[in-house]
Amino acid sequence: MLEPGDSPAEMTQTPYAPDKTVRARVPTRFSATGPQPLSGEPIIRAHDFSLFYGEKAGVRKITMDIHPQSVTAIIGPSGCGKSTFLRSINRMNDLIPHVRAEGRLEVAGIDVYDRRVNLPNLRQQVGMVFQKPNPFPKSIYDNVAYGRRFQGFRHRGELDEAVERCLRAAALWDEVKDNLRKSALALSGGQQQRLCIARALATQPKVLLMDEPCSALDPIATGRIEELIADLKNVYTIVIVTHNMQQAARVSERTAFFCLGELIEYDRTSVIFTKPAKKQTEDYVTGRFG
Amino acid sequence: MTRQPPSTDPVQPGSLLRLRGAMDRMFTGLASGSVLLIALALAVVLAPMLWRGAGAVVFKGTVEFRRMQLEQFHRGDPSTLSDELAEISRARQPVYDMLDRFSRGIATEQLEEEARQLYREFGKQLDRRDTPAQQRTELRSLAKQLRDDFTEAAQSSDKAAAQEALERVLKHADEPRLKGTVAEGFFRMARDYGRIVETVDLGRRVEYAKALGEVRDAIQALFGPRPGEPRPPLVMDQYGATRWDVAEKQLARLLTAEKWVEVKPGQPLQRVDVPREREFAGTDLVPLFPLVRERARDMLRPQTTIYWQYFIDDSLSGHYFGGVGPEILGTLLVTVLAIAFALPLGVVSAAYLVECAGDGRTVRLIRTCINTLAGVPSIVFGLFGLAFFVIFLLPKFGLPQGSSVLAGGLTLGLLVLPIIIRASEEAIRSVPATYKEAALALGASRLRCFVTVMLPAALPGILTGVILSVSRAAGETAPILFTAAVAMGTTSWPPWEAITKPAVTLAYSSYNLAVGDRLAALVPHNQYGMVMTLILLVLILNIAAILVRSHMAKRLRGQ
Repeated sequence: MLEPGDSPAEMTQTPYAPDKTVRARVPTRFSATGPQPLSGEPIIRAHDFSLFYGEKAGVRKITMDIHPQSVTAIIGPSGCGKSTFLRSINRMNDLIPHVRAEGRLEVAGIDVYDRRVNLPNLRQQVGMVFQKPNPFPKSIYDNVAYGRRFQGFRHRGELDEAVERCLRAAALWDEVKDNLRKSALALSGGQQQRLCIARALATQPKVLLMDEPCSALDPIATGRIEELIADLKNVYTIVIVTHNMQQAARVSERTAFFCLGELIEYDRTSVIFTKPAKKQTEDYVTGRFG
Repeated sequence: MTRQPPSTDPVQPGSLLRLRGAMDRMFTGLASGSVLLIALALAVVLAPMLWRGAGAVVFKGTVEFRRMQLEQFHRGDPSTLSDELAEISRARQPVYDMLDRFSRGIATEQLEEEARQLYREFGKQLDRRDTPAQQRTELRSLAKQLRDDFTEAAQSSDKAAAQEALERVLKHADEPRLKGTVAEGFFRMARDYGRIVETVDLGRRVEYAKALGEVRDAIQALFGPRPGEPRPPLVMDQYGATRWDVAEKQLARLLTAEKWVEVKPGQPLQRVDVPREREFAGTDLVPLFPLVRERARDMLRPQTTIYWQYFIDDSLSGHYFGGVGPEILGTLLVTVLAIAFALPLGVVSAAYLVECAGDGRTVRLIRTCINTLAGVPSIVFGLFGLAFFVIFLLPKFGLPQGSSVLAGGLTLGLLVLPIIIRASEEAIRSVPATYKEAALALGASRLRCFVTVMLPAALPGILTGVILSVSRAAGETAPILFTAAVAMGTTSWPPWEAITKPAVTLAYSSYNLAVGDRLAALVPHNQYGMVMTLILLVLILNIAAILVRSHMAKRLRGQ
């Protein structure tokens, strides 16, 4: 389903920040509270990362590494800062006034909160799928081609090819290939969400952030999205925030449990759900609290 | 007594529920009633205006109208028209004959001049015939005698004296030496005048002359200049009544005299209508009036005409004839220019206010300014446009100092700017935040996000502002009073040439026709026609914009 051209290794050839802003790799390794890497270098690294809304802390002192080509789930009760952390990774929190970050957050070795970071480039590398499907009020084709177009690909054939590739990757191609010109809003909720995933894939990101992508969908649509996640993780690094613990258990390799803005525990999913180290985690995953 | 518990039976609603139902119905009734009232008010105001305005397009056109159309606009069939003209001139001829006969009786000076002319002619004839000198002197003195007697008769205002003088002329009628000479004309004139003296009260000749002048004017207004007369220089004088309703008015003027009499001393004069028949009672002219009254249709031949070219024709003689083509063009030009100027500026301003500006003091001040600007009287914009665009700015770019479509469009643009800014602001603000998030998360810059996602989604709302602005700009008079409009003239073509020249517009021409022009009373249909055209124009522009908007909104909703 995924073509070899999509491999992250090739994508790193287009750095999202100008050369001089690319920092030299920090020599000291962050000590992550978590298991040892599954494979290779972590792609997202947080070290004592805090984010404040004015004076109030959204997340506090988060330190964790996220590994490429894996699915990492973030769970926790409402208001625990899991979405805040997710949105910090591609700096979508910047839309909220008076946001302030402390500590370090790196994506592929680049400090996300560096003032010199080129935000559009960062966000092309770190795609995002939102809670509610939010396709543009344009045609299906234009939705998918949107990100691709302003990356400088305007050639018709190239765009067609990219649209087909992304729609196939999002398992939507067979359903919509005959009416790509139809408005995206005419699709069902589940189709719209897959379209949003296809749209995010079009900019060829390394990381895909998913903010409760299934909470607005029915069980069948949810199942399809989960299958899709399982497919996509071969190529992309996926971070998914979810309220649904079964979903976290089904799709992720690793799970981070957040509570009150702090990272309580981060480990293999099987560990978190079977023998968590912390009492708080156990209470949450067994349903005694949250 | 125990209190009744509130009813819990869903089938039998409690009193509270009943009250609520009644109030719901009341509210519905009130709301639909007010909507109905507004619709009714609109109908009451607009319907008569449109009805009377339609009279500018659909009316009974007379033969004069067809002649005007052929000569001024080269429309119609010349051969049919010339047949028709021949027929109506046959129908009109008796009228002219009667007029001529009567006017000879009262036009003393004309008669005297004719007599003098005849005398001179006779002298020349004698010279040519080589009459012996003595006979010539005798004949000359005889002719002189005839002339003087006739003049005396013509000048006399006493019937008996005039008849006596005419007797003296006619007594020489059998003079053999005058047979076959022009001097016989004296006897013919004397006989003709004798008949007039019988009927016309010579003492009232001055009165008759005045009344006859009025009759002549009315007939000229009805039938246009008499065939064979020199063509008047003004187009409005070249044709009679082109419309049957105007003809009826002129007919009334012909058939009844308007007299202002003092009923009581010191009181305002009162109008009394006197039939012309009574005014000319006892004279030869009396049969003229029933003739015209009964045969007016044959003399003018009204036909139901649909003059759709009203919307494209130039106006003639300051809207006396013709259409409102230049006015429509001028209105469109000024309006389109205003929107073309205000729309980009307004959208950019709105984008700034929504996307970039925070909620600081300056921004609040700017908002207040925009709201205040929306409430400034339009004449203030007009004066500002005069001072800033016409006098200061445009001459700096080498344009002649003076009214121009450009200056008017810019002034109107300023006028509608607040409307567009406010509508655009609302529209941009109401675009779902998720669109913006989605675009930004895909790595679009803020500008690109705005242009590719926010703006298309906000366009229907922005178009609402444009609709309001078009109605406002097309209908405003004050801002273009000093900046773009002229009362007399036309709109140039093509547009790029018109832009630096003044133009006529519907709103301004209606105003102008209503206040300053004595012609307006004669062409009410044109006033209503202009207003109707303005309403239709705004309506058409609005419907077009509404269609575009609903099409866009449909596409945005994904249908």
